[in-house]
Amino acid sequence: MSVDSIHGHALRLDSPLQLDQRKIKVMIVDDNSINLSILSRMLEKHFTDIVQLTVFMTSGVEALQRLATEEFDLILMDIDMPVLTGVQTTVAIRQNTSECPVLEHNQNVPIIAVTTSDGAEQRALYQQVGMSDCVSKPIVLSKLRSAIEGAMKGIKRVLCE
Amino acid sequence: MAVELRDDSDNGSDYSRPGSPSLSLPTPPLSGTSRSKGLGIVDHATFDQLLDMDDEDEFSKNLVLNYFEQAERAFGDMDEAMSASDLLALSRLGHFLKGSSAQLGVLKVKASCEKLQYYGQRMDAAGQHSLISNEEAEKQIRVLLTQMRHEYDEAENYLRVFYGEQEDEEGDEEDQRQQQ
Repeated sequence: MSVDSIHGHALRLDSPLQLDQRKIKVMIVDDNSINLSILSRMLEKHFTDIVQLTVFMTSGVEALQRLATEEFDLILMDIDMPVLTGVQTTVAIRQNTSECPVLEHNQNVPIIAVTTSDGAEQRALYQQVGMSDCVSKPIVLSKLRSAIEGAMKGIKRVLCE
Repeated sequence: MAVELRDDSDNGSDYSRPGSPSLSLPTPPLSGTSRSKGLGIVDHATFDQLLDMDDEDEFSKNLVLNYFEQAERAFGDMDEAMSASDLLALSRLGHFLKGSSAQLGVLKVKASCEKLQYYGQRMDAAGQHSLISNEEAEKQIRVLLTQMRHEYDEAENYLRVFYGEQEDEEGDEEDQRQQQ
């Protein structure tokens, strides 16, 4: 097991070979049950090669609470949610403050926006706050796969450096 | 692959219900007229993606039924928000229903929900940042809600016919006319 660091934070990481073989644990965050149902079904039907376990959260607040106690490999994040938006939730994850802590592993977990708010300015904002990609609703499977694989490759690149 | 179910949002809807009761009616093939009516009402490029994920649990049918419940609740909430002149609530509700409408390919409802989202923020229908007055926004929304309801009823009718819950009376009449 190798130890590396990014932005001064120590990360416990599997080797690239282990990550290639290990399936990932995904958190889906969306306040709309229809969207949760569709996305989870897509992962269940079409991503069995990649995804081991999917967990649903219906709010950014719930997501942060869970990320404080459990490690995840990928987050699929709705943007427009009440109380905490997807952007605000992502900022909280990346900042990992004492007021709003998450597990160190989760601080740099890849986060993909899944949203109808997908204009150029909004995409730039998502990137700025630390999201790795944005998938538009309605979700096209090939684009979801491309985004997930791209996000996971980003993690592997870090491991190899 | 394990799936952990967590909570059920939007007032108790069960968003993932393997094993839940489903309609026993088989799904009849749509007539050519009925299928073509889908154009403009339901985007089959999107909707067929959901059909492809169907199993014994009739995933897409349960999803659609869930959408009907969600939409009815949303319309009720919109009426309340309209009565209270709560434009921001109307915007939020528009955005909420836009998402699920988009996911199911319910095109007109999705488009109207987007307009509602913008009017509720006192923008014009295209979402440009030219602010309109509260009175103008309410006026536009009042008209839009009526239009949206018609569009939803059209989509609901189409989907219920698609799943064999009701007869496609208009399509049958058209088929008979074409055969004569």
